[in-house]
Amino acid sequence: MSSVGEKWKGAKSRAAQSGIPDLEAHVDFCRRAEACGIDSVLTAFGFHRADPIVLASALGVLTTKIKFMIAVRSGTCSPTVLVQQVNTLSALTNGRICLNVVGGHTPNEQKGYGDFLSHDDRYARTDEFLTVCRAFWEGDGPVNFKGNYYHIENGRLNTPFVAPDRRGPEIFLGGSSPQAFGLAARHAHCLWTLPRRPEEMAKQIRAILESGTEVGILVSIIARPSRKEALSTAQSMLAEVGDRARKTHQDFSRVSDSVAFTSTLALAEESSSDWLTDWLWTGAVPYLGAPAIALVGSYDEVAEGILEFSKAGITQFLFMGWPDVPEMTAFSEEVRPRVLAQYDAGSDISQGTPLNDEAELNQP
Amino acid sequence: MNLRFHWRLLQGGETAGVTRATASSQRATGLPDLERQIEFCRQAEKSGISGLLTDVGAAKPDPILLAAGLGLATERIEFIVAYRSGLALPTTFVQQLNTLSALVNGRLSLNIVAGHSPIEQRYYGDYLDHRERYARTEEFLAICRALWRNDGLVSFNGNYYRIEEAKLNTPFVSPHRSFPELFIAGGSPEARYLAVSQGTLWMRLADTPESLKVSVAPVLAAEKEVGLRMSIIARASREEALHSAYRLVAGLDPSLRDGEKEKHFMLKSDSVSISETYALAENEWLNPWLWTGAVRSYGAPAVALVGSFEEVAQALIDYARVGVTQFILSGWPKLDEMILFGREVLPRVRKLEAGLRRSQILRDL
Repeated sequence: MSSVGEKWKGAKSRAAQSGIPDLEAHVDFCRRAEACGIDSVLTAFGFHRADPIVLASALGVLTTKIKFMIAVRSGTCSPTVLVQQVNTLSALTNGRICLNVVGGHTPNEQKGYGDFLSHDDRYARTDEFLTVCRAFWEGDGPVNFKGNYYHIENGRLNTPFVAPDRRGPEIFLGGSSPQAFGLAARHAHCLWTLPRRPEEMAKQIRAILESGTEVGILVSIIARPSRKEALSTAQSMLAEVGDRARKTHQDFSRVSDSVAFTSTLALAEESSSDWLTDWLWTGAVPYLGAPAIALVGSYDEVAEGILEFSKAGITQFLFMGWPDVPEMTAFSEEVRPRVLAQYDAGSDISQGTPLNDEAELNQP
Repeated sequence: MNLRFHWRLLQGGETAGVTRATASSQRATGLPDLERQIEFCRQAEKSGISGLLTDVGAAKPDPILLAAGLGLATERIEFIVAYRSGLALPTTFVQQLNTLSALVNGRLSLNIVAGHSPIEQRYYGDYLDHRERYARTEEFLAICRALWRNDGLVSFNGNYYRIEEAKLNTPFVSPHRSFPELFIAGGSPEARYLAVSQGTLWMRLADTPESLKVSVAPVLAAEKEVGLRMSIIARASREEALHSAYRLVAGLDPSLRDGEKEKHFMLKSDSVSISETYALAENEWLNPWLWTGAVRSYGAPAVALVGSFEEVAQALIDYARVGVTQFILSGWPKLDEMILFGREVLPRVRKLEAGLRRSQILRDL
C-alpha cells in the first residue's frame, strides 16, 4: 500500500521515499483490488512510510470488501495498545483486518524506535507480545502476564474485536529463520516466507504444516500472453532500474539481520543461473530486493508455477507486480481462472496482494 | 486572537444523564458509533466549535484511529487527541500522529495526560508513580518535539527512553504548523511545569477567575497559553439554567447516581486535579455561576458554568481577562448543549470579546 504510485517498488533506497500517503491513489488501488477479487492488501511498516494502522483506518472507512493486512512490529508499543488499536480498527471496518507480525529486519531502524534487542531476542519478545495479545482476544477475563519483556496486570479493554465470524484477527507471521518457523507454529494462522524451488519448500515446511499453521509465499509476478513477452518485460525492467538500485540492495543487505532477506539476496547473487525453475526467476532480486523473486512466464506457465507451490503445501500467496494494478488485473483475468480450472475443487486457495516493497516481508 | 472553544466528542453508545462511573462500565462506550459521531462532528462545525476532545482510556476506542475515521468524513473540525505516555514509544507515536495529520491536513492537536489511575496504567504494563509518569512524559515529549523539528536524525538517552538515530519520512502535515498544538492537561505543579517546558498550553480544570489568576501566572509569563476544561449549562434565563442543573443530579435514578462508585474512583486515583476538584465540590457554588454540584456524580470536569446565556458569556469573558484563551467544554446532553452554545452563547461571547479587545487597545494606548 505504501508504495502506490511507485512504479519500481524497491528500486529507491528507503530513505529517499516519500512518507506522505496519497489517499486518493490508495483508495483507488484498494477498489481495484476489490474488483479483482483480491482478499487483502498488505500495509507495510517502516520508518520511511506512513503508519500502517492509521492509514488502514482511513482506507477502511472508504472501502467495503477488501481486508487490510497490517504489519506490526513488537517493540514499538505495548501489546495492550496494539490490541486496542486493532479492535478499534475492526469496529471501524467490521473485522476487515488481519495482522502481519514482524520483528524488524534492520537493527539500525529498530534503534530509532528505541529497540536495541538482537534478532533472537526480538523473536523471544514477539513470542511474549503475541501471547499477551491472544490472551486479550481469546480469553474471557482480565489479562495477567509476567514475562521477561512484558508485565500486564488485570488488563482489560472495553473495545472488543468486532467481526462477523471471529474473536480476534488472523495472524500472519513472516520470516525464514528457525525462530520464525517456531513462532509461526505457536501463534500464527499462516507463515509468510520467500519462495524456493517447490520440492525444497515441501521439505522445509512439512513440520510447520503438521502443526496446523498454513504457509504462504511472498512473490512477485510477471505474467504475459507469451513467455517471450514476459521475458522481454523482465529484461527491460532491469535495464530501466539499473545499477543504482543494485547498490541500494547491497547496502541494505549489509545492515539487515533478516535471514529471509539476506539469504535470498545471497542466493540470487551467488547462483550461476537466474532461474530456480522454468518460471521462478531471481534476476530482479539484486536490483529490487528479496521479495522481487518472481513468477515469470506465460499465463499458463505462471498458473503452473502456482499449482506446483500449492502441491508443495503453499495455500496463500502475497503478490507484487511492477506496477501492481495492471499485473493484478492480468492475474485476476488470466492467471487465476487457469489455476482454479486445474485446482482440486475440494481445496481452498486464497490470494493476497501486497501494497508493498522490500520492507514488507517483515522479518520478525 | 479570538477565544477558541472545543467540545468533548460524543462517545459511542452515549446517552444523556449517564454518570461517569456507569458510562465507563458500559460495553457500548468501547465501540465507535461512526454515524452518530460524524453527525456530531458536523454539528460542531456548524456551531463554531474548533476541536473535539477524543478521549483515551481502556474503556474507549483508540483515539488516533477514531480521529482518522471521523477526520475523513469531515472538513473543518479538529481532533484533540488525548494521549498518555507509557502506551506507545515516542517514535511510533509521532509516526501515527504524522500519518493522521497527512490524512486530515493537520486538523489535530494533542491533549497530553499523565494517566490518573495506577490500576489502569497496569493494564498497559506501566508501573510508574505519579511523579515518575510526569518525568517520563517530559522525556516522551522532548523526543516527539525533536522528531517534529524534522532536521536530522534524533538520538536521546534518558531515564525512560533511549532512541538512536531515529528518522521518519512522514512529516507533520499542516498548512500552518510544523508540529501539533500540545495541551498538557493536569492540575498538579508537575503538569504546569510540563506545560511550560514542553507544551503550548496548560489545560486545567476550572476554578474561579481570581484563584486561576495566581495559578496561571507562571504559564503566561512563559508565553504559553492557558485552557480550561469545564461544563456548561446555559439557558434563556437563570431560573431555567438552575432548574436544569438541579434536575441533572436530583433527577438521577438512585441506581444511576453512582456517588459511591465515583467516590471509589476518586480514592483510587492519584491525580492531583481530580482530588482537588472533589475538595472544591464541598462548596457547591464557587461564585454565582460556577457550580460544583455535578462533580460527585459526573467527575471532576463537571464543574459547570450555570446561568443565562448572557451570564455564561460574561463568565467566559471573565476567564479571558485572566489569560485563558481556549476551552474544552461539555454539557448534558453534549449535543443539545453544544447547539445551544453555538446559537446563543458564542455570538454573545464574540460581541463581548470585541469590546474587550477595544478596551485593551485603549488601555495600551
